[in-house]
Amino acid sequence: MKHETIYSKEHLLYLKGVQKKNVVVNIARFAILALFLVLWELSAQFAWINPFITSSPSRIVKTIADLYTNGTLFYHVGTTLWETLAGFFIAVVLGYSTALLLWWSELFRRISEPYFVVLNALPKIALGPLIIIWCGTGSKAIVFMTVLIGLIVAILNMLNGFMSTDENKLLLLKSMGATKLQLLTKLVIPSSLPNLISMLKINVGMAWIGSIMGEYIVSKAGIGYLIVYGGQVFKLDLVMSAVFILCILAAAMYALVALLERLVIKNQK
Amino acid sequence: MKEVLQFENVSMHYHSKQGETVALQDVDFSVSDGEFVAIIGPSGCGKTTLLSLAAGLLTPTKGTVKTSGVSFGYMLQKDELFPWRTIEKNIFLPLEIKRTNTPEQRERALSLAEKYGLKQFLKNYPSSLSGGMRQRAALIRTLAVNPDVLLLDEPFSALDYQTRLSVCDDVYKIIRNEKKTALLITHDISEAISVADKIFVLSRRPARVISEHTLHFDETEPLKRRENKEFSRWFEILWKELNA
Repeated sequence: MKHETIYSKEHLLYLKGVQKKNVVVNIARFAILALFLVLWELSAQFAWINPFITSSPSRIVKTIADLYTNGTLFYHVGTTLWETLAGFFIAVVLGYSTALLLWWSELFRRISEPYFVVLNALPKIALGPLIIIWCGTGSKAIVFMTVLIGLIVAILNMLNGFMSTDENKLLLLKSMGATKLQLLTKLVIPSSLPNLISMLKINVGMAWIGSIMGEYIVSKAGIGYLIVYGGQVFKLDLVMSAVFILCILAAAMYALVALLERLVIKNQK
Repeated sequence: MKEVLQFENVSMHYHSKQGETVALQDVDFSVSDGEFVAIIGPSGCGKTTLLSLAAGLLTPTKGTVKTSGVSFGYMLQKDELFPWRTIEKNIFLPLEIKRTNTPEQRERALSLAEKYGLKQFLKNYPSSLSGGMRQRAALIRTLAVNPDVLLLDEPFSALDYQTRLSVCDDVYKIIRNEKKTALLITHDISEAISVADKIFVLSRRPARVISEHTLHFDETEPLKRRENKEFSRWFEILWKELNA
């Protein structure tokens, strides 16, 4: 039921004000980035800073172009992207189903609680040597590391969402004679949708930490490999370029989840 | 008249690590077919426990709850409409739960919604409805599976006073119109007097039934009853009993 509304002069003025503020915010955001890049570039050009150590925007662009022409750019990006996505999806699916299981059985939940607390607190990177021995030095080890880092967070976040289901709505469904499976499908899962989205957002970050850290420990290719390799041979242009690519990829993945959020959660209040 | 719900010396104890709480102590009362019964008591005296027992969600520690094969519909303090479902889908919810989601049943539920002025809101989400309309939708949802007895757990207490009076009137008329038996639980004395044929008064925890009153009003509509001079007489009697 959409219909044209005639607004008062004051309201139009208000809307204009809001729009103006948005424009200012966007311009300022862009200007800060531009100013930073220009300052960086000029400092390097006039040798105010040592571009060998700090690199510069133009050198980053050139490094990326070189990677592209010698054909390794997409190989490295593809490797890391694949590892990250695989780790992300495995952690999310496994985490979601484990959380469901924990919601279902109070006994299981209580028994497993201390294990999750310890596993959550444990820095997963400490398992690095074990992972290399178990999974070898290929992508498998990195995906495993990514899953380890994301899994516990995913479980605890989702369980929290499932457990905070509105008691009165549960009572209402029980009074209609709902089975436990019906409670789950009609209420617990739909009402925890916002938790799922926030879990996905957190796990985007976790997946990148996992894959890059995995590549630090063991890798022959990928963005993390480029960073470590660049650092070892003192090619800081390469390090900076890799970080720049990483920024773009992580932002893109986050934007995808944010888009999903807007598509899915239209009617939640 | 046939009794549809009977509490016989029902006691209910709750157990927790802190100890044992006696919520109900030898509660004895019955509701007959077609009656509108109100139970009033001080807040926190175990009224909600009583409804949960009636609905079969809890088992009494002692005594028996007889229900003679009738079906129940539960209405809570808030409307508890699911915000991710349209009004129509909310009304179909009990049909889905009871696996009676047939075209005829849906048709019946929809005709109820239409009869009570919800037709234009069917495709809307609950967030776009007023508090009164939402509570009406909640009632239609309860009536969708055609329950014999309605259990009302302070269904108006979350509304502001103005809305509350009109929604109470509204809900009362719909329940009478559909010829349902109703058991209302409330701590609001005037609300109980304005709708009930019979009132039971509960004591403080552990709750017992301390008195039973049968009300005779010429008027049946809640708003009209409130204007009757009998109304204030009943109010005084019940007020004294509650605060004894």
